[in-house]
Amino acid sequence: MIETISPDLSIGFAPHARKALSTQRIMLDVILGLLPAVFAAGLYFRLHGLLLIAVSVASCLAAEATCNLIRRKPNSLWDLSAAVTGVILALSMPPALPLWAVVIGAVFAIAVGKMVFGGLGANIFNPAMVGRAFLTASFGILMTTWTVPATIDSALAPVAPTNNIMDIRTQATPLAWSKVAIKDANGARIYNERHPLWSGLFGEKAGSLGETSALALLVGGLYLVIRRIIGVHIPLAVLASAFVFATVTYLISPDKFVQPFYHLTSGALLLGAFFIATDPVTAPLTVRGQWIFGILIGSFTMLVRVVGEYPEGFMYAVLLANSVRPLIDKFVRPVPVGGVPNV
Amino acid sequence: MFMLKAHRRSFSGGVHPPEGKHLAEDRAIEPGPATKELAVLLSQHIGAPARPLVKKGDTVTAGQAIGECQGFVSAPVHAPVAGKVKDIALQPHAVLGRSLAVIIEAQMQTPPQPPAFVRPAHFDPAAYTSAQIGAAVREAGIVGMGGAGFPTSVKIQPDTKTPKEVLVVNGCECEPYITCDYRVMLEWTDQVLTGIQLARQACGATRVFLAIEDNKPRAIEHMNASLARLGLASDIQLVPVKTKYPQGGERQLIRAVLQKTVPTGSIPPAIGVVVSNVQTTAAIAEAVVHGRPLTHRVVTVTGEGIARPGNYYVPIGTPVQALIDHCGGRTKDSARVVLGGPMMGIAAADLSTPITKTGGAVTVLTARQIGKGATQRPTPCIRCGRCVRVCPEHLCPTKIAHAVKNNLMDLAVQYHVGACMECGCCTYVCPANVDLTGYIKTGKIYLARQKKKMPA
Repeated sequence: MIETISPDLSIGFAPHARKALSTQRIMLDVILGLLPAVFAAGLYFRLHGLLLIAVSVASCLAAEATCNLIRRKPNSLWDLSAAVTGVILALSMPPALPLWAVVIGAVFAIAVGKMVFGGLGANIFNPAMVGRAFLTASFGILMTTWTVPATIDSALAPVAPTNNIMDIRTQATPLAWSKVAIKDANGARIYNERHPLWSGLFGEKAGSLGETSALALLVGGLYLVIRRIIGVHIPLAVLASAFVFATVTYLISPDKFVQPFYHLTSGALLLGAFFIATDPVTAPLTVRGQWIFGILIGSFTMLVRVVGEYPEGFMYAVLLANSVRPLIDKFVRPVPVGGVPNV
Repeated sequence: MFMLKAHRRSFSGGVHPPEGKHLAEDRAIEPGPATKELAVLLSQHIGAPARPLVKKGDTVTAGQAIGECQGFVSAPVHAPVAGKVKDIALQPHAVLGRSLAVIIEAQMQTPPQPPAFVRPAHFDPAAYTSAQIGAAVREAGIVGMGGAGFPTSVKIQPDTKTPKEVLVVNGCECEPYITCDYRVMLEWTDQVLTGIQLARQACGATRVFLAIEDNKPRAIEHMNASLARLGLASDIQLVPVKTKYPQGGERQLIRAVLQKTVPTGSIPPAIGVVVSNVQTTAAIAEAVVHGRPLTHRVVTVTGEGIARPGNYYVPIGTPVQALIDHCGGRTKDSARVVLGGPMMGIAAADLSTPITKTGGAVTVLTARQIGKGATQRPTPCIRCGRCVRVCPEHLCPTKIAHAVKNNLMDLAVQYHVGACMECGCCTYVCPANVDLTGYIKTGKIYLARQKKKMPA
């Protein structure tokens, strides 16, 4: 009977059709979605900003290739996940960070944040945030030195005390201001007067490389949503919960706390809501789980901003939510259409 | 938006694979090949295989029973043509690997012609009792021709505990490429409608729905006209449903048509619903009105890898190779022969596999249609959750598949591996190219063996 088998035919489990969507394509789309923010980084922080991004990506790729060699695993650079980590890590860096520092961050992000767990899909924490947390813990001052965007006229006096450690013109971030405001009676009102809404929208303000321009992030985020690379649940949950939190504090004391809108457009909230919290590997599987995850991130970020010692808490919020993600997945499971069978 | 939803009835989840129906949908049903040797498998249904009634060297007439029921959930098989029993031997079987078959050498080699169906003037299903219909259907060896192969006589018998109130006739044909049910609806309309009336009479349903996916406007139009012509418009309600795979899955169809849910691990009769395929109802009409056993069926031979796609009237037992030859053979770039459609069909390496009562299609695919599944290795799961979102049964395919992969069967059961109907949506969308459905199928077989329900 064996001779009736046709050797030129392939076999395999059904289905015998696959959608033309690969992990590589998803990662490429995330990079494309980040391009507007990369462009904004180049616009406001010029060559050094772009160099940071390039060095970060290159270091991530090199770190991943080295880890693969050590683990005797096949090359995984072409899934582009290391490149995504590189871009996100760079966009979360202060614009004047020395290049050697971002190399350390990138290597730590990939080696300790991802490869020790087994590579793509196995890591618990967002690798870029692991790298950033490591740098923050190691180089506190470098990681909180905020350059004035290049487009701001240098004749204008800086709106905050300058910091000359790195011999560059620096400025307080909007969130540092809001922190001052909490302690100073009229701080919030002064801040609100000095900062027109559009500065937050276009990104002409101090902050990490890729977080300043709300418009660029929204364009990129929208691209990912339209391409169905990310669902709307996590960004919506993060932003909505942060907005509600900020609104409540603002209503309690408008003099102490800045307007909710400023919270949404400053810091890492937009970058994170669309590009960091939505990392599928470290986010819950189910839509219900994703709502919980997003709300956790949004409210914890605001908790740090309002009562914590740091001006910004997004990174810690993501890492915290990442750590409870397995728990969320364990308890929030999809219920079969016909209900849970009685076995 | 809500209006739109109400009109386009459906279920949640599902996918939209390339339909591929254009290849064969406009080809009228033609006589299939005249084959010298037919292998009629004794197991073409769910339940106990039939017991052979003939032995080597016997002569058989067309329509003669050659295998009898063995048990309640079983079905007899019949000789499609007159001839001589050449042997009773193991033959390749699409699902079981190998199974016993009666091999018949045909006396004459004439192309099979569908016999004329005459709907009696002033046909009244009430002239038949439920028991009469049930007996005729059982004797004719009719099983669900949509794929599952559940003996129809068992399905349509009345139930006093949970009365079968609703009959849903399934004309969705959601599986890509396949067009045999579509052609049957267009060309064998009288059989289908007469069969629906008889099935309803048998099971005592008070409401009858005929569901057709809205990518078949001609079938919907034609059925509407035919219902009006036969004065059945008030008895049988035509329901256009949204074109989405797997709309024709019975649980999904019940959800779409009745907004009811079949409990996990249960079957539609548990909530008083019977679902039957259109070609099965046509067979019921043939059996009850003309006393013809189920010996032939319409098979779609299609796919980019076949020279002349079409719909053929084929004797059961015809080897797949004969059908492929009849359609001009495989093209040079053909890569896979699938019994059934691309989503749920079974890849065949042995083309001597015979056509069964449940096999509605032979789809010959090229490497392009199979896509990355044939050539690329799987990459790690990135937990994107696409499989979870498309699962029509709201399961967690990636969790089940990884549990099976790591031999954690307890975990697979916790994630309701048994509730999977193997529609393939999860594998279809997986960006990491993980064969989720394959793992889940393996897990189900493994569990069945643990319970000793299936031989190793």
